[in-house]
Amino acid sequence: MEPADEALCERVARRDEEAFNLLVSRYQERAYRLAWSILRNAEDARDVSQEAFIRLYEMAGSFRGRSKFSTWFYRILVNLCLDHKRKHKWWQLWVRDDDDDRSETILDRQPAPVSDPVDKLSREETLKALGSAVDRLAPRQRAAVLLRVQEDMATYEIARVLKCSEATVRVHLHRALATLKKTVEKR
Amino acid sequence: MARHPDSELVPYLRGELSPAERERVARHLEECPDCKQDTEVLRELLDNNVARAIGEAPAVNWARYRAELREKLDRRRVRVVWWRRPMPLALSASLAGVLLLVAVWGTHQVSKNGELIGPDEVVMGQELGLLQDLRTVERLDLLEDLEVLRNLDGLATEQQG
Repeated sequence: MEPADEALCERVARRDEEAFNLLVSRYQERAYRLAWSILRNAEDARDVSQEAFIRLYEMAGSFRGRSKFSTWFYRILVNLCLDHKRKHKWWQLWVRDDDDDRSETILDRQPAPVSDPVDKLSREETLKALGSAVDRLAPRQRAAVLLRVQEDMATYEIARVLKCSEATVRVHLHRALATLKKTVEKR
Repeated sequence: MARHPDSELVPYLRGELSPAERERVARHLEECPDCKQDTEVLRELLDNNVARAIGEAPAVNWARYRAELREKLDRRRVRVVWWRRPMPLALSASLAGVLLLVAVWGTHQVSKNGELIGPDEVVMGQELGLLQDLRTVERLDLLEDLEVLRNLDGLATEQQG
């Protein structure tokens, strides 16, 4: 039987390298994907998700098991992403042209197999607009949406990750949804 | 009321639950306005293809990713640990001790000369440029006592004449 994340984390606290490697293998894809969804830059997502694993290694001893390991780890990761975004906000305004992932349109990433070309174009345009709207959401709103939709996290877990109340998470989701709906309705 | 089926709402909307689980979640939604509201928000998000719009992250070479992570972790450990090692710690302590000794000894040497100039005098000296000529000024006082100064003007007139 595979050891539980929480048990592995305890072993990491005792500097068990094998346990750490196992946790990295389990979470690397999810961590990178979530970081990329928030940061929208592959290099930054790689760096920040790796930093989250380093923090996990350093802080494993402070995991008390009051929440699930995944919630605790996502909290570290999302905080790093939000910090990174805050610190690099001014810089991104200058180097937006160099942003490797923004040069790739949502259409490049999303080949949609639809038979009717007109319908296909319209749907792809909507998707593109929706993608841009997600990019423009406030970081916490976006994080709430991503944790909900991508990671299937419960409201109380998102609240722990974002260090806010469940009611605030609901507000984040509602506001995000209102923004996204407006985008779709405009089309 | 039973526990909120938070983590089952997305699978519920995607039709991924078993009939029994689906029934249980549906019953809960009828009774719980919070979960019902959450479900509506989620349905809208999923219907609007938010997950697709967010897109797929660019591919990563995971072996390289882990190798980089290992490298960063090793670097971090070295950085954190070097000053805790006995040698650097002893070296730093010795250096600090020597610096302290030099400072104390230097102060002692200066005070032994007895030629210390007060800070107010230094400031005045910088402003007036007089301190460097202090000894001359003192001697001028002596000359005045001997009535030499008073006769200097007369001597100069005689030389011109």
